[in-house]
Amino acid sequence: MNSAAAGSPDADLLWFRDAVIYQLHVKTFADSNSDGIGDFKGLTGKLDYLRDLGVDCLWLMPMYPSPFRDDGYDIADYYSIHPSYGTLDDFRAFLDAAHARRIRVITELVLNHTSDQHTWFKQARSARDNPLRDWYVWSDTDERYKSVRIIFLDTERSNWAWDPESKAYYWHRFFFHQPDLNYDNPAVREEMWKVMSFWLELGVDGFRVDAVPYLIEREGTSCENLPETHGVMRWLRTQLDTHFPGRMLLAEANQPPEHVCEYFGDGDEFHMAFHFPLMTRMFMAVRLEDRKPLVDVVERTPEIPASCQWGIFLRNHDELTLEMVTEVEREYMYEEYGRDPVSRLNLGIRRRLAPLLDGDRRRIELMNGIVMSMPGSPIIYYGDEIGMGDNIYLGDRNGVRTPMQWNGGWNAGFSAADPERLAQPLISNPLYGYQALNVESQLRADHSLLNWMRRLMSVRRSSHVFSRGSTTFLRPANHRVLAYLRTLGKEQVLVVCNLSSSAQAVELDLRSLAGALPIEMFGKSLFPRIGELPYMLTLGPYDFFWFKLRRV
Amino acid sequence: MAEGSLLSDELLRHLMAVGQVDVVVGVPTLNNASTIGGVVSAVHQAFGRYFSRDRTVLINSDGGSVDGTQDVIRDCSVDQSGTVTVSHALRTMHSISTPYHGVPGKGSALRQIMTAADLAQAKVVAVLDADVASATPEWVASLVQPVRNQQFDYVAPIYSRHPLDSPLITQLVRPLFRAASGWQVREPLAAEFGCSNRFLTHCLEQAVWDDELARYGIDLWLTATALYGGFRCCQTTLGPRVAAAAHGRPGFQEVFQQVAGSVFLLLEQQASFWLTRVGSEQIPIAGPAADGGSDGQAPGVSRLASTLRDDLRNLESVLQAILSEDTLRELNAIAEANLEELHYPDALWVRTVYEFLGAFHRGVMKREHVTQALIPLYLGRTGSFLIEQASRSQAEVEAALEALCVEFERAKPSLVEHWNQNQPHAR
Repeated sequence: MNSAAAGSPDADLLWFRDAVIYQLHVKTFADSNSDGIGDFKGLTGKLDYLRDLGVDCLWLMPMYPSPFRDDGYDIADYYSIHPSYGTLDDFRAFLDAAHARRIRVITELVLNHTSDQHTWFKQARSARDNPLRDWYVWSDTDERYKSVRIIFLDTERSNWAWDPESKAYYWHRFFFHQPDLNYDNPAVREEMWKVMSFWLELGVDGFRVDAVPYLIEREGTSCENLPETHGVMRWLRTQLDTHFPGRMLLAEANQPPEHVCEYFGDGDEFHMAFHFPLMTRMFMAVRLEDRKPLVDVVERTPEIPASCQWGIFLRNHDELTLEMVTEVEREYMYEEYGRDPVSRLNLGIRRRLAPLLDGDRRRIELMNGIVMSMPGSPIIYYGDEIGMGDNIYLGDRNGVRTPMQWNGGWNAGFSAADPERLAQPLISNPLYGYQALNVESQLRADHSLLNWMRRLMSVRRSSHVFSRGSTTFLRPANHRVLAYLRTLGKEQVLVVCNLSSSAQAVELDLRSLAGALPIEMFGKSLFPRIGELPYMLTLGPYDFFWFKLRRV
Repeated sequence: MAEGSLLSDELLRHLMAVGQVDVVVGVPTLNNASTIGGVVSAVHQAFGRYFSRDRTVLINSDGGSVDGTQDVIRDCSVDQSGTVTVSHALRTMHSISTPYHGVPGKGSALRQIMTAADLAQAKVVAVLDADVASATPEWVASLVQPVRNQQFDYVAPIYSRHPLDSPLITQLVRPLFRAASGWQVREPLAAEFGCSNRFLTHCLEQAVWDDELARYGIDLWLTATALYGGFRCCQTTLGPRVAAAAHGRPGFQEVFQQVAGSVFLLLEQQASFWLTRVGSEQIPIAGPAADGGSDGQAPGVSRLASTLRDDLRNLESVLQAILSEDTLRELNAIAEANLEELHYPDALWVRTVYEFLGAFHRGVMKREHVTQALIPLYLGRTGSFLIEQASRSQAEVEAALEALCVEFERAKPSLVEHWNQNQPHAR
């Protein structure tokens, strides 16, 4: 049995519930060998930075061999490291170094599909009687599963692609070069457990599982969230718990909350799942200056098993997805956040956090203040802690995957290679360019966004109420003020946020808390004791307070 | 409440919470518990369906209802109103119900709604009557969208109704207002309207609010102010207007005097604007044109005719002070005719109205006596019109109504001449 890692076999099996997760791409984080591509040795050298930031867990985007037609999500070999990133030994050394700093590591697991360059697919397409033929989903016609939606609307016309080699169609929910694996075949499931075991044996603390809802296909259905898909995941979870307790599975299922909840099962499928609708509605609420969309979605979110946790985030490596919103909401989001048509991709907006918020430091702080105090484990996308910009003209989603900006020097400190060799071009515009916006300069400035983020995470870490507490929304008459109470046992934190660009007064009905003394958690300032009368607060534009409520 | 303030502290607290808004829908009420639920529901559904991205608030200004009207409004939550699930509002929908203080009447309620809307920096305000049973979300959209999307300042409604309906409007208010103002407004006296912030700011600066006109003629005053003030005006089609049962409402005589008195008073106050206007201009229609109305409800014709005959005799001394000899003689001749031969021609009706207006202007007697004396003549004219048009098609009736308007316009020089020669006495 291999228990949870991070240096201690006694570590809390539910560690992920309190974690702050940091998502990064090895390719663009730090390059140690000057080839212009980030690598594990480079990443290892930055672990102190991540520890000091207050990160508990790293989520690594795909690091496997790949033709890189989908930035590594098209895996060509599940048992190895992409040579550009280093070797398995480099990975082991990185893992040990991370665990030594009490930082856990989860890696990407693309279950749904492989690259068409994977040897499994090459064999499967080579002959209809090949033993691996049934590892993928084949058809002589493209008429099956007609009602299934196409995810990448901008590039794909069908979920079927013609294979001229074996003269049949193969099923793909994503790009045509990413054939879906056939999970009706037990051999595929066994093989995938073997893949997971391989990495778990090395010491990874879990997996972020890509494209979960699409594992199984059935005629007459949407081929999403099918019971059989849950069956596959439950089987994998049983294997995991049996052989590697304390390791974690995080589901990527961009679905409405009620469907995502099904992936927690009875605490016997995924440990965590991303809360996509919450992400969209945080942006919506701040632009609307109205708490309604945010409160609505949280209150619509069903309870999840006590052993599970939401993964909550503002931005990630993909577009800001608008798949699961209404037409009205999508239109609004496009007009407010995606005015430049180039920024729109599929059903979403390919931008980083800071540009989405017009580089407004107050709004960036507010959004982080909300995500760090909402129920769930926050996930920070690399570079957003310093307010990095993007380049929407790089194609696909590459614009939000540019090199980390470490300093104002050669290649932003990311690589010593010639700039022309970089895996992705740097952001160099006057607003978000690395010369002005980088880790080194922000470390020197006490009030930089980076140092503010460190303080924020430190305050969050001071209480489990944020990660494990219940949430009760208050409903002050002023809809521009978002207020909620987080409660864990006797511990209570009151969060009050001004979603508006103008100063706001608010009266909170806190009679049930009469006698409590609010202590503002960042500056430790005492506020007037709560009484029977409405509790009056004034907040500047985009201000927020976290009050610890003490009874003295 | 601060002394002299139109807005109570409670209302101000609500407005602080609501903050800046895009669309305000105002609903003045007085004992409308039986109908207000439907109106509020229509407003909330409109917010969800047509203004889902806008900052919206419904403001009810109540004149002291004792039938639980305000409770109905408070209880009418957004959820109850809405089967609107697909295109629900993105934002919080606010609803404020507050009593108004000051002179009783619609003017005070509108003043409070407009003042609140101005404080909230509303871009558009629409007002709905509380006793209308046919309000729909589309009504709200039709009143708001021309202001929001086409930068109109004032939107007057067009109701779909049979041309024989509402003779007080078609025989008196519409043609007289058209001839005087020079604008062809279908419903100059409508309870529903939409307006811009620019227009409401202008209105709030005027001295009308404590005036007699504000009590019963504020709707007419708003229409006239928009037109005379050079604001961009349009009309919009709302569909049929069905008022709730008349329980508790004033009787015909009182309504007539309020309406006729308001029209005459308005023309008295705004003579400098209309005396020089010649002819009339159309007001554009935003959205689809009006369709014909449905079934008409003809008043009791025989009663109208007999009223004319009886009251002409009873009011002879009063009418002698108001009407010219020729006019009075012609009217007496008409009154003697058999019912089926009753014919009160357009030209005589126009002359009658103009002479009454002149008498009102000159102050030959108390003004309410002037308007009261017009009632039997109005009833006679209406009876005559109904008899003549009863067997005609809607288009033919519409043509007859248009001819009447044209006759009012044609005869306007005589009104102006009469007006300028006779300066008013103080009464």
